[in-house]
Amino acid sequence: PVEGSGDANCVDEILKEMTQSWPPPLTAIHTPCKTEPSKFPFPTKDTHPFPS
Amino acid sequence: QSTEFSSKIETPDYILKYTALVSLDQRQSYKDDFNAEYDEYRLLHARVENITRRFTQLDSQCRKLAPGTKEHQKVQEEVVKEYKKIKQHSPNYHKEKLRCEYLHNKLAHIKRLIADFDQRRAQAWC
Repeated sequence: PVEGSGDANCVDEILKEMTQSWPPPLTAIHTPCKTEPSKFPFPTKDTHPFPS
Repeated sequence: QSTEFSSKIETPDYILKYTALVSLDQRQSYKDDFNAEYDEYRLLHARVENITRRFTQLDSQCRKLAPGTKEHQKVQEEVVKEYKKIKQHSPNYHKEKLRCEYLHNKLAHIKRLIADFDQRRAQAWC
């Protein structure tokens, strides 16, 4: 025999704790639209301004 | 209902760390961070989900049976047994669940920032 059985409170507590609602998992991040126009205005840092 | 956990914690670290995106490089780095923890998140999530499902089943079985009957008693014993099993085999279950909730909120935050960024970019093209 399971000790603690017959203890309805204990079972209720367990059920309350273990059945808390659990949201569905987050989905992965999808890749953005691959069509990235080359003229996209990047704030480019590496515009080599060294005509040495 | 919201799909997010209401957390009691003050400002979580990731709110400070991840702010609105301004560049594609940043988008990539946020996405890398997301992916770096995504597997761990899914694993923990699935584990908690399975256990929650199991107890939800037992719970609804319990509710269908009249208290005091042998069947009811049997299901209740099953609940205790399952619970002990978890305590024994996954003593860190509670911690793992909290960790999963944290990751869920963190990854949702990062994902939202990326989605906002993508949306702003898409609008900029119109």
